[in-house]
Amino acid sequence: MTALADVLSQRASERAQARAQLAEPPLILPGARGADLALRIITPLWTARRAWRFLFIVPLLLTGLFVVAMGVTLVQGIGAWGNNIPVAWAFGITNFVWWIGIGHAGTFISAFLLLLNQEWRNSINRLAEAMTLFALVNAGVFPILHLGRPWLAYWLIPYPATTGVWPNFLSSLPWDVAAITTYFTVSLLFWYTGLVPDLATARDAAPTRLRRQIYGIFALGWRGSGDAWRQHRIMYALLAGLATPLVISVHSIVSLDFSITQLPGWHSTIFPPFFVAGAIYSGFAMVLMLLIPVRRFFGWEDIITERHLDLCARLLLTTGLMVAYSYLCETFLAWYGGDPFERYALITNRAVGPYRWVVAAMMGCNLLVPQLLWWRRLRRSPLTLFIAATLIWAGMWCERFTIIVASLSRDFVPANWQTFHPSWVDISLLTGSIGLFALLFLAFLRWVPAVSISEMQAQQARSSGDARHG
Amino acid sequence: MAALFPPRATKWGRGVLIGGGLALLLVPVAAMAWVRTSWARGEHIVVQQPIPFSHALHAGTFAIDCRFCHSEVEWSANAGMPPTDRCVTCHTPLWRSTAVLTPVRTSLATGTPIPWRRVTQLPAFVYFNHAMHVSNGVACATCHGDVAHMTVVRQVVPLTMQWCVDCHRDPWPHLPSQPAAVTVVASQASSLPTARTGLIAEYRIHQFTNCTTCHR
Amino acid sequence: MPPLNSDAVRQIAADLSRRDFLALLGASMALAGVTGCVREPDEPVYPYVHPPDAGAGTDLHFATAMALDGYATGLVVRSVGGRPIKIEGNPLHPASHGAAGALHQASLLGLYDPARARAATTNGRTLNWSAALRSFSLPALRQLAGQRGAGVCLVLDPTASPVTAFLLARLRTALPDATVHFHHTIESATVLDATRMAFGQPLLPLVDLSNAATIVAIGADPLASGPWHLRHARDFGARQRSIGRVQLHVAETSPSPTGSLASNRLAAAPSVLSSVALALLDRVARQQGVAAVRVAPVTLTSMAAAWVDAAAADLLAHRRASVVVAGDQAPQDVHLAVTLLNALLDNAGHTVRYVPSPLLDAGDRSHRADVLAERLGDGGTSALIITASNPVYTAPFDLPFAAPCQRATQSLYLGDYHDETAAVTQTFLPHAHYLESWGAERAYNGVISPVQPLIAPMWSGHTVDELLAALSGDARSGLALLKACCPAAATADALRRGIVDSTEAPSHATTIRWSALPVLAPPALPRSHTIEVAFPAGGVHDGRFSGNAWLQELPDPTTKLTWDNALLLGSGTAARLGVSNGDVLELRVDRATITAPALIVPGHAEDSGSLSLGYGRRGPGTRARLIGASTAPLRRAASPFTTESVQCVVTGQQHTLAVTQQHWSIAGRASELIAGAPAKALPAPLYHGTPPGHDGFGADQWAMTIDLDLCTGCSACVVACQAENNIPVVGKTGVLHSREMHWMRIARYTGDNGNAISQPMLCQHCEDAPCEYVCPVNATVHSDDGLNEMVYNRCVGTRFCSNNCPYKVRRFNWVNYHEEMTPVDELLNNPDVTVRARGVMEKCTFCVQRLRTAQERSALAGAPRTGPVVTACQQSCPTGAIIFGSLTNPDDAVAASAADPRAFRALDSLGTRPRVHYLTRRKDPA
Repeated sequence: MTALADVLSQRASERAQARAQLAEPPLILPGARGADLALRIITPLWTARRAWRFLFIVPLLLTGLFVVAMGVTLVQGIGAWGNNIPVAWAFGITNFVWWIGIGHAGTFISAFLLLLNQEWRNSINRLAEAMTLFALVNAGVFPILHLGRPWLAYWLIPYPATTGVWPNFLSSLPWDVAAITTYFTVSLLFWYTGLVPDLATARDAAPTRLRRQIYGIFALGWRGSGDAWRQHRIMYALLAGLATPLVISVHSIVSLDFSITQLPGWHSTIFPPFFVAGAIYSGFAMVLMLLIPVRRFFGWEDIITERHLDLCARLLLTTGLMVAYSYLCETFLAWYGGDPFERYALITNRAVGPYRWVVAAMMGCNLLVPQLLWWRRLRRSPLTLFIAATLIWAGMWCERFTIIVASLSRDFVPANWQTFHPSWVDISLLTGSIGLFALLFLAFLRWVPAVSISEMQAQQARSSGDARHG
Repeated sequence: MAALFPPRATKWGRGVLIGGGLALLLVPVAAMAWVRTSWARGEHIVVQQPIPFSHALHAGTFAIDCRFCHSEVEWSANAGMPPTDRCVTCHTPLWRSTAVLTPVRTSLATGTPIPWRRVTQLPAFVYFNHAMHVSNGVACATCHGDVAHMTVVRQVVPLTMQWCVDCHRDPWPHLPSQPAAVTVVASQASSLPTARTGLIAEYRIHQFTNCTTCHR
Repeated sequence: MPPLNSDAVRQIAADLSRRDFLALLGASMALAGVTGCVREPDEPVYPYVHPPDAGAGTDLHFATAMALDGYATGLVVRSVGGRPIKIEGNPLHPASHGAAGALHQASLLGLYDPARARAATTNGRTLNWSAALRSFSLPALRQLAGQRGAGVCLVLDPTASPVTAFLLARLRTALPDATVHFHHTIESATVLDATRMAFGQPLLPLVDLSNAATIVAIGADPLASGPWHLRHARDFGARQRSIGRVQLHVAETSPSPTGSLASNRLAAAPSVLSSVALALLDRVARQQGVAAVRVAPVTLTSMAAAWVDAAAADLLAHRRASVVVAGDQAPQDVHLAVTLLNALLDNAGHTVRYVPSPLLDAGDRSHRADVLAERLGDGGTSALIITASNPVYTAPFDLPFAAPCQRATQSLYLGDYHDETAAVTQTFLPHAHYLESWGAERAYNGVISPVQPLIAPMWSGHTVDELLAALSGDARSGLALLKACCPAAATADALRRGIVDSTEAPSHATTIRWSALPVLAPPALPRSHTIEVAFPAGGVHDGRFSGNAWLQELPDPTTKLTWDNALLLGSGTAARLGVSNGDVLELRVDRATITAPALIVPGHAEDSGSLSLGYGRRGPGTRARLIGASTAPLRRAASPFTTESVQCVVTGQQHTLAVTQQHWSIAGRASELIAGAPAKALPAPLYHGTPPGHDGFGADQWAMTIDLDLCTGCSACVVACQAENNIPVVGKTGVLHSREMHWMRIARYTGDNGNAISQPMLCQHCEDAPCEYVCPVNATVHSDDGLNEMVYNRCVGTRFCSNNCPYKVRRFNWVNYHEEMTPVDELLNNPDVTVRARGVMEKCTFCVQRLRTAQERSALAGAPRTGPVVTACQQSCPTGAIIFGSLTNPDDAVAASAADPRAFRALDSLGTRPRVHYLTRRKDPA
């Protein structure tokens, strides 16, 4: 009898221990609890050390290069790039698709995860949304820059012109314009709406009057009244509702720029889902690239915990598998479909064509690297994650390049086959856009609360409430 | 501590936000409205010619047919500007007199052309064919206005693509009433009886809306 | 593009007559009409002072003739506002029959070349014509070079001009001891020596392919080069269309356009070609039991032997209906063998006639390079007068001009440019372009062809005739001389039609003098470890066109090489030498060396190389300075077009060659591209909008067919298109970026043993065009008459259309290609075609300006269109491979041609429904 009870109690304790082992650590570590959280996020805004300035040097130089390269392109024409016939699209569109894809993770985190109320998003959504905005700034530059006559870009917008001619709505490009502008507007509003209460917090905590006034202007007179909070929450939810479908629609439309053509390697019905998966994939890679140094730099390991990294890594792995599946699909269907042009473009040309090294890099980074993330330890090791994320981030650029350039360089008529070589302007524009991103992101870290204080506090309130009841 | 902002700051803030929103809306609208004004299209421009030539006098008072001076209009893309000889055919009696005709005399003497200035200008990429219009029942006045009453000729129609295309899509209402009315000036044409349907039949008028009708 | 600025007009107009002044004004109007901006520059409108007799407001066509190597080709030149802007073949002229070669058409660019010499100079001082000639007046010459002019030496291009003949004769009577020499650059008189040996008199073979069932070409490219090639191509085309497949046997060193059509092709080094010719002669003679032909035993490789067997069999099967041709550059023994073969086969009088050469003093010593070399060498020349085109550059190694020029007390050069020759002569006179000249020339068959100017000399140039007249104290103008010396060519009728009737050379009855013939022995084979190098005429002829950007950028029909020449090698030889494309080789003969990059050509003969003439210009006054390698150091006057035992040393340097095509293999896509399943019945065209029979534009449904059995790849169409449509050149770097702008590109696919097929690729005007639905701004749309329209002024340059074009026939203005155009360059522009701005897409329009003009004409006439509408490419095509017209017009041949069982559409499986049909090649009878 007692023996049985002992056994049972023993089993129970074992099960308890097992549960204890399995249980995830809390999202935010005890250190991050309490009223000082707001201070810890706000104070860096005015207690920054001189070292900050040096961080800006390289991004500033690269941005300068970006501006120069843009100037050359506008003055001299697209001839300054390496593009040719047949490769009429190259770096420009590659960068565009890549950047806009990166943007997707931000919206995914802020909108999707909000609606699915994944609390862990609260620590990182501000960073992710900022990343989205700055990625979109870059993404917006390239489509206009790549036009032969950029000053006529507005012809893609449907408006009553004195020519009596409208855009061609059969083409995907006018829809691109609509999608991107919508996406940018919504992302900006969403980000700013979330920011307002924190700007108010900054206003109240700022040391000097000038600072208080500046933050005050941007806080739009937020007083945090219950009424304001209620409207704020409604607004926030509405924008989230608007943004969520955009995560799917924008990159689907971007993918149509390729899949509505009949070019082998573009002419494919799986592109929309494939591109969306790829977009979130590259986006999460970049989120991790940003989170890891930031939490280290500000000593926010307890706010952005290994658990956050783990969750991001899991999403990275998931989307990575989707991308892998798409590669598999493409290749298999090219072979199974039996169309000689498709077979050549997607199998032969990628295996032995002039761009096989880019293809190899893309396969290595996008298929092999994420497999590391099956291991929990690696998912929680910041350094490994950072390296893996960076590789994937670059691998996704290679993917866009492969799809665009490799397919164009060898299509139907062998006599037309030519290879593309980037010019110095091409390379400057790519590195320059990365520089501009870095510049904007540093500025954001320097002058804007990088973690959503209000949402963190709300989350804490909830979790402490749970603690009391539970 | 003192308030950061005066009470009216709120009003201003709202003003700025609303004003900004309206501006975003209104600027393009204003631009689109502007290009539709006659000023934006340069209809007001008065061109100084080397000779103070009066269409009102020649085409109006003397009722000279347009084709007398613009003689290539029926078989060439260009209407044709009159050679100096053409002026002299009538102006010989006045040969010795009138200082205004000096350019004509010098032109004849030196063999250098009279540099007339363009009044009705189309963009370079528009291939307009006078003959095709005139010999298909489009009156001179339809595009050049009633020059018989213009001492100094000005552009009187928008000359926007929309304006061209409207007629190319639906030419019939724009035709004059009678073949005779095509090249005589509008003022006299108005007095002629209308037989437009017969005219359409005679000229076999069609829509020409292909881009390469004008852009080549 | 900036409008013609008025200063330029005044500066240019200063020394021009009223006619040219109006030409320039016309140009300025045209330019005001082609600039890209919306608000026009306020350019004045210039009316005439006195209306011209004809053609105010319309464009005019004039018949004239262009002489090359002394033989004339009749041309029709289109003139707008006093500016010649397009050159086409003269249908009435025997050497053209309406076709025009690349050189003829591109010569137009030469007229407007800003690099042309603009003033007469003596020792650097600018003078006027008469002042410059003062020291060359008859008394001056007599006083300088003896009463009988013993010290006077004239060097001319070979010419057949009756005017020149008259003036030269007069000069000779005035200066009996003066010597006259004719300097040959790309063809030799060997054929005359051969016929003299065979017949006892020097005669030219006049080949008539219009009823030849078998053609054997030895070292010849009868369809694409030589003074009579346009006629050959015309006749061949007609013949091929009527009887199906002409049996074409070609033995050649470097793959030629003719060779690409051959049913039986042999790649052989020049020396081997002689052996082959003799072996063929021997074989035919034996078969016919003619003992008189004595040929020393010839050893051939099995491949060569097989070729000879096949050729002999076909020849014997078609006696009287076959012909054997040798190239202008072939050595004498080949020409002799060919002459004997035609005689044995009884072809003389049927497929080949023999006529006296129209050239002045043909077959005379005055044509021999060694005689000229001797004369120049003897130092007795006190007055050297050169009208030949730049002999200092074109002459072979052992015919030095520079030294004699400097040695002569007085030297005079009448030239187009301040070139190598101008640099070493004391007096320079600018030569008038033939489009600025009055004169008369003779075609290969002797027909007199009037030359009339389209524009008065732009840079005070004068003709050879005017110079010769001036030398004998006759200051009359070209027109006066023409009227005086050749009145028949100055009649209104002759000038209108471009020919003088019944001036054709009479054909001579010929009998072979068998007894006089020696034993024919093949040349000794060259030493191994060296190669033979042949020097064919390049894309820029003998170098006189090396400043011509159209020709420099025109891809070579065989190698697709632009802006360069290179040593063409067979793959075997290249492997033996261990070189690949672009490796620079040092070529050494005796002590003379040159360096040239190697280019491997499938189907090139082994143990030999080909290096085209006309490159490696060193002199001033040409844009082509230092482009390519000069051949002169390797060449010897004795055999100017082949040099044996040339040593090749790999230098290890690299040279970038701008080749427009990277892949010669068709990658297993023949069935889709060049031999598609014939369209069973022509599917009903998709009419966009208006139904057929509607008498708007919809009445016509434009389409084109291209016969791959007739396309030699000669590329005349590419130049025609470039001239008609204001297509810019992009230069070597542009080509290296694969940004060439040619709307028409000739794809070439080669199989093993170098048999090749050429496929002109242009906008296919798909009825379901992939480019149209992807354009975001409706800049490319479909017309009622089935054209794929490109609206430049609507294009914003997304280039989406190009990406979705399976044929990749769209071209993009990557930068402003008209930036460097000078006001003079711009006179060339066709005012009917918009000059495209930077950043817009462009492509073949089926010459829409011609279509619309024709439709407008018929509308004005109030009657349906009569007669065909001809596109620029179709007009120029020598073999008539291109047929264009309306599918709905019974008069147009295109409908029938598109219904041909051989008709197919490229990449038909994509469902683009192209309006261009290709006629696949007929299979050779096994």
